[in-house]
Amino acid sequence: MKNNLLIQLTLVCFFLVTPLVSHGAQRPDPTEQMKPFVHKVMEILKNADFKEDPKCIICKRLIDVSRERFDFNEMSKRVLGRTWRKLNKEERADFVDLFTRLLQYAYIGKLEQYTGQKVIFRGERIRGKRAEVKTELNDGQQSVAVSYIMLLEDDQWMIYDVIIEGVSLVRNYREQFKEILRKEKYSGLVRQIEKKVKQLEEERKKRFSQKIK
Amino acid sequence: MILSKILTRFLVVLSFFILLLSPLSLYAAGQNETTDFLSDDFYEDTADVAPETGDPLEPFNRAVFQLNDHAYTYIFNPVAKGYSAVVPFDIRHIIDNFFTNLEEPVVFINCLLQGRFSDAGSTIVRFLANSTIGVGGLVDFANREIGLEPVEATLGETLGVWGIGDGFYLVVPFFGPSTLRDFTGTVIDSLAMTPYYTCIDKWSVKTGIYAEKTTNDLSMHIGEYEDLKKLSFDPYIALRNSYFQYRKKIREHRVFPENE
Repeated sequence: MKNNLLIQLTLVCFFLVTPLVSHGAQRPDPTEQMKPFVHKVMEILKNADFKEDPKCIICKRLIDVSRERFDFNEMSKRVLGRTWRKLNKEERADFVDLFTRLLQYAYIGKLEQYTGQKVIFRGERIRGKRAEVKTELNDGQQSVAVSYIMLLEDDQWMIYDVIIEGVSLVRNYREQFKEILRKEKYSGLVRQIEKKVKQLEEERKKRFSQKIK
Repeated sequence: MILSKILTRFLVVLSFFILLLSPLSLYAAGQNETTDFLSDDFYEDTADVAPETGDPLEPFNRAVFQLNDHAYTYIFNPVAKGYSAVVPFDIRHIIDNFFTNLEEPVVFINCLLQGRFSDAGSTIVRFLANSTIGVGGLVDFANREIGLEPVEATLGETLGVWGIGDGFYLVVPFFGPSTLRDFTGTVIDSLAMTPYYTCIDKWSVKTGIYAEKTTNDLSMHIGEYEDLKKLSFDPYIALRNSYFQYRKKIREHRVFPENE
């Protein structure tokens, strides 16, 4: 009995100490990893001419660049919640693909409005393998608070949520998906996202055909 | 003088509404209003079992949401767009400062009622400095020169601090998302502002002032609602969720914590 308690105590001590040890090790800094990434995206945007780009080649380039800092897999997992656990490997991969395409259209539409806003880093906080990097998007007149929520994977900090003025993108989609999942199950959700992506795609095409005329 | 008038009116109306609201405190009181994005709980289903605040009036709210959507699309937004095209940003910013300054005494009282004394102090300094050096509130002198940022405090929040629950989610015609408690607070806050307008007895002028304030507010946020609508699957839920998330953020009043 006594022996048992001793083993338990040792175990508890071990678990208590382990995080301390790993804390002491050299850990990459999330802000330092964000900076070159933001710089890269800004460079692409500065040189981009969206008006001359109906096929949106820049959009694809931007998505490819985002992959080095965004973990779309982790994002999809959180946006689906419990449903994610019921999916098999293929379904998961398909969903990540679809959701990434949705974000691509949703956010590239935003980036087209880019007119030289500055990104100012406003601090970070780290807890274990999670970090929040706080930034401010400033165009000289108004500023928008944007926070990036990151997960440490090997030695890279990867973004899995974006908080705009306190509103979590993942949480907001999740609330909407929850309703759809309840009413139309997983297949209904996939159908709805496909429809949305198509609709955004067509709106973009229409905008360009109007411009050419 | 005007300050004491505002204070008296505020307290009289407030005490009356507290009586009305007190049964609500039995419902969903003392909610945890902090958010931690770094916690997994934030993304867990357990957090969804008890959503922010119930929405028992959903069918009604959805109908009002539709009404507001049409009003926004066909009236408010075109007006705000025309307005922002005619009135340059600097002038709109000055108008915004002016209205913000008028509300400062109400913010001050709410800070006191919430026990946020340093915020109350900086609000009163802001009000005095901006009303004098800031030319009657046209310039936010206190923020620019002394570094005193505007403080957020409404009666809705005060009531929350006192343990009165939200009641339920409420979409108000021509106003937007709120909750029973918060909208009650909004009404009292704006009643407390009436001493400013006692010299104006024409309804048309009062409505005009309100319309100007609303249009000016909206002109600073053109395109945000369209984006939300375009990118969401159910704009009603997207807006409801954004409202609660945003409200939590502005009510945390916390300094961003450095490394833990």
